[in-house]
Amino acid sequence: MTASGFESLKALIVEDNGHMRALLRALLNTINIKDIVEATHGQAAIETLRERRSDLVLTDLAMKPMDGLEFTRHVRNDPRSPNPFVPIIMITGHTEKHHVEQARDAGVTEFLAKPITANHLFSRISEIVDRPRAFVRCDSYFGPDRRRRMMDGYAGPWRRKEDLQDMDVR
Amino acid sequence: MTKPKNAQVIAPEAYPQLMSRADAARAMLTLHSPQTTARADAVMQAAVRPLRAAILHYVDEMEAAGADMGLVFEKVHEIRGFAETAGLVTTGRVAEILARYMDDMARIAKPLDTAIVALHVSAIARAARAEGEDEKMGEAVAAELATLVARRLGDAEGR
Repeated sequence: MTASGFESLKALIVEDNGHMRALLRALLNTINIKDIVEATHGQAAIETLRERRSDLVLTDLAMKPMDGLEFTRHVRNDPRSPNPFVPIIMITGHTEKHHVEQARDAGVTEFLAKPITANHLFSRISEIVDRPRAFVRCDSYFGPDRRRRMMDGYAGPWRRKEDLQDMDVR
Repeated sequence: MTKPKNAQVIAPEAYPQLMSRADAARAMLTLHSPQTTARADAVMQAAVRPLRAAILHYVDEMEAAGADMGLVFEKVHEIRGFAETAGLVTTGRVAEILARYMDDMARIAKPLDTAIVALHVSAIARAARAEGEDEKMGEAVAAELATLVARRLGDAEGR
């Protein structure tokens, strides 16, 4: 059998709905990601991450007691986080603009709207594999660069509210 | 304007990557191969029946939720997430309209119009239970509901 490139990857699915967990697992299996663990909320996922390496995380947004945003912030910012750089794909039906912005600002790598298709899931994985994002660390944020295209030598304008707070305006 | 103070950009080469370049090249071929597409299509097809059953279960729970708007939203959210994958396009469209209405009203801190919610709940239930859905009828109902919601949301926002 020809190697798929994915066989050594370990994935973590964080999702409270059993049907969605099963669907995501089956889709990951089709690209030969077989080493998959599941968690039903963010707190359980944090514990799983401490116990076992995960190279790719797929997470829902709305879960209790800890949702996908808090989970993502924890992964990116907690000093005990085993891998703050791990790619995180947020998969959710909450596609309203403010939810997407919250996800971006929490530090997700990719956002995928439900209803999911295999094509859309694979395109997000493709982005992660083929075009890994730079990370940005500043006073108010740590996570993938929220600008999708990097321009060498770019010096502004900086438009985000939190950028403005830190900005040295001359 | 200059770069934010203390902002550090960490290039992809400077942190551990998902896989080696050789594996990444193989992975891209895998993602775009016809064999992967065929396997994924089979997975999506196999999901249709169990998801339809799940949606009908969520519909029952949504109807039983009555005036508990938090629970109604929870079930509507599940329905909109799965309906299209289960081939229930109209069900998904109406659920999407209702979920957005409920989310928008919560965002602007305005009370929900329970008649609007009840109308959508009824439309979702009818569409989900209609084997094969009546597409033309479904589209017309979804369009009317979307117009109604836009008008009520506009009123609530003072537009």
